[in-house]
Amino acid sequence: MNAAALRALALLGALLAAGAALAAERPSVASTNVCTDQMVMTLSDAAQIKGLSPYSRDPSQSWLAAEAHRFKRLSGGAEDLMMLRPDLVVSGSYDKRATREMLQQQGVKVVTFNVMPDSLDEVKQQIRKMAALLGHPDRAELEVARLDAAIARARAAVAPRALRVLPLWRRGWVSGQGSLISLLFAEVGLINAASDLGVASGGYASLEAIVKSKPDLILVADGADYAEDEGTALLLHPALQRFYPATKRIVIPERLTVCGGVMLADALDLLVAELTRIAR
Amino acid sequence: MRVTTNQQPDQPIGFAARSRRAGTVLAMTVLVVLLMLASLGVGAVELSPLTVIDALLGRGGEIEQVIVQDIRLPRAILAVAVGAILGLSGAALQGLLRNPLASPELFGAPQAAAFGAVLVIALGLADVRSYALPVAAIIAAFISVFALLAVAGRNAGMLLLILAGLAVSSLAGAATVLVMNLASNPYVALEIAFWMLGSLEDRSFRHVMLALPFILVGGAMLFGRRHAYRALSLGEETAQSLGIDVGRLRLWVIAGVALGVGASVAVTGSIGFIGLVAPHLMRPLVGQDPGRLLLPSALAGAGLLLAADIAVRLIPSTSDIKVGVLTSLIGVPFFLYLIIRKRRALSGGAA
Repeated sequence: MNAAALRALALLGALLAAGAALAAERPSVASTNVCTDQMVMTLSDAAQIKGLSPYSRDPSQSWLAAEAHRFKRLSGGAEDLMMLRPDLVVSGSYDKRATREMLQQQGVKVVTFNVMPDSLDEVKQQIRKMAALLGHPDRAELEVARLDAAIARARAAVAPRALRVLPLWRRGWVSGQGSLISLLFAEVGLINAASDLGVASGGYASLEAIVKSKPDLILVADGADYAEDEGTALLLHPALQRFYPATKRIVIPERLTVCGGVMLADALDLLVAELTRIAR
Repeated sequence: MRVTTNQQPDQPIGFAARSRRAGTVLAMTVLVVLLMLASLGVGAVELSPLTVIDALLGRGGEIEQVIVQDIRLPRAILAVAVGAILGLSGAALQGLLRNPLASPELFGAPQAAAFGAVLVIALGLADVRSYALPVAAIIAAFISVFALLAVAGRNAGMLLLILAGLAVSSLAGAATVLVMNLASNPYVALEIAFWMLGSLEDRSFRHVMLALPFILVGGAMLFGRRHAYRALSLGEETAQSLGIDVGRLRLWVIAGVALGVGASVAVTGSIGFIGLVAPHLMRPLVGQDPGRLLLPSALAGAGLLLAADIAVRLIPSTSDIKVGVLTSLIGVPFFLYLIIRKRRALSGGAA
């Protein structure tokens, strides 16, 4: 073995050691909210993740549900978190306050994220904040760029006439102004029809009032003709089907719109695709 | 099986009583029709009576037609059908058991039916708009009433029946909540409220088609044995001597109640206390004869549920009030009142 090879080997060894040291500096993390789950999975190394929230594997709410199976699912309470002792616990601002306070009393670093951000800028800000906490600031820029690209594509697709769209969830819940869906609508040039129903930030609307106010389109989370419970059966009511058949329904799965996070890029692209389908 | 005249167990009713009963039935029918029209006229969107009539006849704007025909009409039809079968079930059970406190909800039948329906949903076996739901609810209701009467025994006193009924309904209620908790549906709290309290809001003709056939069959079964309840009011031996097989009659009535109540619960959730209250409202008007009480009780049940369902739409509130809440608010004090009236029998009759 010659000197050059030896030197190369030593360099490699040093690099590996440095890499290991860097990884060790990055904090281990546990998430207690389905929205912070998504950011953690996107922005950290798998080795950093100690556990995810109870809903992390629910495909209806969790964007990366398939990937979440690789990680431990937490109970949502304080007990298993105390046993795991992660360097960092990230949670949503609407999560159980008692759990958060108990963890803080035990000396666990808890960082809270606003899972219902007021603007897309706040979304980007939170992505950066999370990435910085996790020790991967470079990855935030990648995701923010992806979101910016989707926003640009959406703005390019703005239709000449602003359509009034009603975001309608199970049981007749309507998302109003300030909801994430409204933020997305603004980018594509759609008007949230919730205000026509007298719904401010969000609330239940009756079937009669919806039919009467007659928005141009409705946005639903599921396009299938299957009612798994009475809440979804409402969206398949004949009165609604009559005015809003599949050709008048924008379908965007809840997992894309429930969190202010990196998946909003996918949501915007899907929204544009759905509008193209409906315009056809 | 018509009992011949000389064996007729009750006092032959006179002309006055007969005409008073006919008058009551007529008045109740008119009331139910009026309430049904009112039900079509009330809703989130204000429509004038003329618009409603036009829309009902297929005239006027498309939106108004859809609101009246597809949203309000199925709701009104369900209120009539469900209210009537609950009233009829209450009257039939009270006749069968010769017990004024007998009613489907005190026996836990709606709670058990809700459990059957929820189980099907939780297991993801079927669309909530499929026949699997009423069938499961009917089977569960049948099992619960059958078990209750088996546990309480043939000549159970009021106290025994009420205690056994309380046990069955608590068990069914707890099982329903548990099943929903286990069923990974994140909206579980709202769905539990629906099944425990009952609502007629935003039902469609698909729901009507799910429930109505079973309700009609159950109603016909209960109504068909009206002469048997009358014979039973003279005591079980007398009824047996008149050729009535009391054991078979029991099974028949349980099946009829299960069909009607089970199918109702499968589309509306459990709506309480109509079956208890309706017969008591009619007794002062048509007398004690359990056979003659059935039709008026069904009409009273329909009227009560229609009225309650109109009221939940008129009471100003931020979210929809469940109609089952209202019927319980009326029904429970009434139940307490009945207990006070029967206090002596209850405290002495723990047989």
